[in-house]
Amino acid sequence: MRGFGDLESVIMHMVWDHGSPVTVRELFDELRHERPIAYTTVMSTMDNLHRKGWLAREKDGKAYRYTATASREQYSARLMREALDGGGDTEAVLSHFVAQMGGAESEVLRTVVSRLTRRQPR
Amino acid sequence: MSGALVVFGYTLAVAWSVPVLLSRLTRHGISARLGLAAWLTAMASVLASAGAAVALLAGAAIAGLPRLAEAVCRSVAGRACTPVVYRSAAFEVPLGAAAIAATLTAAVLAWRYGRALQRAGRRTRAHAEVARITGRRLPAKGEWGGGRGMGGGATVVLDAPQRAAYCVPGRPAAIVLTSGALAVLDRDQLGAVLAHERAHLAGRHHLLTSLSRGLAASFPGVPVFTRGPAEVARLAELCADDAAARRTGRPALVAALLAMGTGAAVPAPALAVTSGAVTARVHRLLDPPRRGRRARYGLALTAVTLLLASASGLVIAFAGPFAAALG
Repeated sequence: MRGFGDLESVIMHMVWDHGSPVTVRELFDELRHERPIAYTTVMSTMDNLHRKGWLAREKDGKAYRYTATASREQYSARLMREALDGGGDTEAVLSHFVAQMGGAESEVLRTVVSRLTRRQPR
Repeated sequence: MSGALVVFGYTLAVAWSVPVLLSRLTRHGISARLGLAAWLTAMASVLASAGAAVALLAGAAIAGLPRLAEAVCRSVAGRACTPVVYRSAAFEVPLGAAAIAATLTAAVLAWRYGRALQRAGRRTRAHAEVARITGRRLPAKGEWGGGRGMGGGATVVLDAPQRAAYCVPGRPAAIVLTSGALAVLDRDQLGAVLAHERAHLAGRHHLLTSLSRGLAASFPGVPVFTRGPAEVARLAELCADDAAARRTGRPALVAALLAMGTGAAVPAPALAVTSGAVTARVHRLLDPPRRGRRARYGLALTAVTLLLASASGLVIAFAGPFAAALG
């Protein structure tokens, strides 16, 4: 049903929503109410996220406590920077639905919109 | 030698004249798909016939050089000039040097292009991963929605005020929407946006643009290659528009373009080159060409494509045995 990458996303969102440092056990207890899942799967996924730099961890007794290295907003802002004012390799590969426009073109489009809405009000 | 000149002349003629013809035929975006095919065929055909011309020239050089070398050698050294002398010194050294230089140049160009592709691929994969983890899956609703798009790609929504919608190629591919974009799109318009992006992914448009950019970087000053990337990108955009219009209808697509376009942030001056592109897309969708006009353009583009393909095929078929006979 859901792939491995999906679980990474679910866990990161849980860590972000949690706010304070969280253990594998705590997330596992929350997750198993939603889906059949093994403790070791959660553990290895969080280990991967730590290895890839998404999660930082600190030893607390026998277990690790995990925190996100950056906020969701920081990641979104970085993606938007890459996607919108890239101009580099990434920009060349991404296909935008609309290209960024000059002020004059925005004006032209705005007049098209007002003409269309006048002609056939919705 | 004359065979090489003919092929070389053909290559130059195609590389300089066909871009003018194709720009004219594809300007209005009528039959965008055929236009895209014609541009790609033109680039491939110039590349192939240039290769054939080089092979012919090399063949001619190999055939002509011993006589030249012998003549020069005899006039200088008189009777002391034996085949051993002129073959080793005058013949093999420059020829070997030229061959090595040509091979090195080609290798450097290919290596540079490969490295650029690799770098772009790495950054794209990293971008897609961050988007997949940071974004939320678009809940599946009706036919357009879906956690999974075509080719195993996911559609994710990022929390961001900007209006943006784009696709990230790769395995798996991803379509990224911002919450800012979702806020201005209704259900049908969202369907049009997703259909547009899926058409890009299904048509492997990123490969076409990246290949044409690579050619433009490798052959500066050759019109068919320098004008290629912009034309390929523009026509790929129109192809995706056509696919989306077929799926969700023109009104939804036009409305989506206007909704996404009019709220865009004030762009950097560097991006002014793309200005007019969205307006052109909107006008093209609002006033679709009559059937007769579309058929004429389609016919002309098909004719150009077939002519280019068969002419280069002939040239290469002609160059092969000719070079072999001389070499």
